[in-house]
Amino acid sequence: MDVIEVNHLTKDYGSGRGVFDVSFKVHEGEVFGFLGPNGAGKSTTIRHLMGFSHPDKGQTKILNKNTFTNYNEILNKVGYIPGEIALPQGLTGYEFIKMMQDLYHIHNDEMLKKMLDLFELKDNVLKGDTKHMSLGVKRKLAIVTAFMSDPEVLILDEPTSGLDPIMQQRFIDFIMEEKKRGKTILLSSHIFSEVDATCDRIAIIKDGKIVSEFISNDLKHSSLKQYKLVFKNKDEYKKFIKSYNNQIINILAKEDSKNKLLISCEDKNINEVISYLSEFEIKEFNNIKETLEDYFMHFYKEDKEFGGNF
Amino acid sequence: MELKEKGLIEIKNLTKDYGNSRGIFDINFSINKGEMIGFVGTNGSGKTTTIRSILGFIKPNEGAAYVNGMESWKNQDKIAKLVGYVPGEIAFPDLKTGVNFLKSQAEYKNIKDLSYADSLIKELQLDPKANLKRMSKGMKQKTALVAALMADAPIIILDEPTTGLDPLMRDAFLNIIKREHQKGKTIFMSSHMFNEMEETCDRVALVSNGHIIDVADMNEIRNRKTSEFKIEFNDKESFEKFRNSKFKIIRIQEKYNQVTIQIDKNDINILFKDLKELNVKFISEVKYTLERHFKEIMEEKGNEKE
Repeated sequence: MDVIEVNHLTKDYGSGRGVFDVSFKVHEGEVFGFLGPNGAGKSTTIRHLMGFSHPDKGQTKILNKNTFTNYNEILNKVGYIPGEIALPQGLTGYEFIKMMQDLYHIHNDEMLKKMLDLFELKDNVLKGDTKHMSLGVKRKLAIVTAFMSDPEVLILDEPTSGLDPIMQQRFIDFIMEEKKRGKTILLSSHIFSEVDATCDRIAIIKDGKIVSEFISNDLKHSSLKQYKLVFKNKDEYKKFIKSYNNQIINILAKEDSKNKLLISCEDKNINEVISYLSEFEIKEFNNIKETLEDYFMHFYKEDKEFGGNF
Repeated sequence: MELKEKGLIEIKNLTKDYGNSRGIFDINFSINKGEMIGFVGTNGSGKTTTIRSILGFIKPNEGAAYVNGMESWKNQDKIAKLVGYVPGEIAFPDLKTGVNFLKSQAEYKNIKDLSYADSLIKELQLDPKANLKRMSKGMKQKTALVAALMADAPIIILDEPTTGLDPLMRDAFLNIIKREHQKGKTIFMSSHMFNEMEETCDRVALVSNGHIIDVADMNEIRNRKTSEFKIEFNDKESFEKFRNSKFKIIRIQEKYNQVTIQIDKNDINILFKDLKELNVKFISEVKYTLERHFKEIMEEKGNEKE
């Protein structure tokens, strides 16, 4: 079942800003990553999903309900962390939690306690005014309030921005647990390692349009591998270039002065490649892995050279 | 001013105790001119306290920090002239726009030529006319970076400059910092991200609970003499043959017919000649990263304690 649906969403803010014909679906029990730099349209899409904004064209649905017209109905089924956290003034942490519980009409004290313990929000901090909280504490409070009613759908906009690596890891572990419990999660993040660790599928948005949508395992276990080769001397290097079988080996980049090549080949041909390479004097052999970050950057830096990786 | 080549920044037995075992304790570190140094650790590990001590904002309980031979706490003004600084939590003075702020900084630092500031503003696509109070975190960080670099100071200190930035901005920031390093600047930068330290720094210190646990020489990590490869075989026979060969085995996953070996980089030809006779499914390198280096060191320390 598709729990979150964005269908041909368009919202034009003028001068090329906004989102244009954006579509994707998040299935039940899936964690879906949403990547893009600031201003690409992530938060605009999310704000539509939360029913805060009326689309020019298309629609957004959660649990099969139009989010703009059924805002009140879905409110208590969706946990939300906004990208920029603005807490109401003049409240303590506890008062803010109480206010959010009243708003959702759900008081799940067991889940609340679990969340407060997990993210180490202590009594003395929660008794204090939200105005004096550090960015990290505010962020943790936003995480706690999004999850404390144990909602089945979560929309998370930069949830861990500003948290340290230990808390980020704790968040990742927590998301994996929630996924096991069947939650459906949309995660927008700038932190590639977090998206890599949690997401089943990932979409990349650029200038208001989805430029790529893929299964994250396909990228992690790509059967097309890249290797860096450095030959012992110029003769070996030249011999290789002259005689290699271009049916199984692809040369992606050359660096003549260092006798260095970047090649790619499919895993199914690896035995042939190995037996071919065994005939050469090779000084260095490295596997160059395309990370999520590399893949993402391709869409933004078409002219990125291999030189940077070499 | 003549700058010291050795120990341009020096931290000697520095202790600042905030109680409840928070603070920094007996820190020793020396940074040479032109070096780029990373400082990694969790929140509360003492990164910012160390940085603020170098800048002379904090009076230590014991020991001292020195910049170009001057004790920081007693020479805050002189040190400010040598250092461009981007703080972790940016609080701007009560001025209207970014332009007002940058102009006041230029006046304070007696900068006449603003052409470098202008080119950085262009490079970062910053709108300096924006209202300071309404700036997003990213815009504040850009403004603070311009302010820190525009005086062309020989030392640059950055406290988590990339935290909260989007990937493109992070890339732009790191490129500017790398360029400053290439120009010969001495750079001290704290961060949460191992990978951005890995690419840029000469040495990286790991800080935990107010102590420096380890200092990694990035050249050693980048140019290790050994490599590790994970090799999976298509059949049991090849797997069995290979696991009994002479290579140093680090890990075996029998159910996948998988072997991870460590070899001298020079022995790669021998490996290929051996593999040639076997039925390989894939071969992929297990990289030795800074993160793994520090993890192993933390585990070692943990074992020592037990």
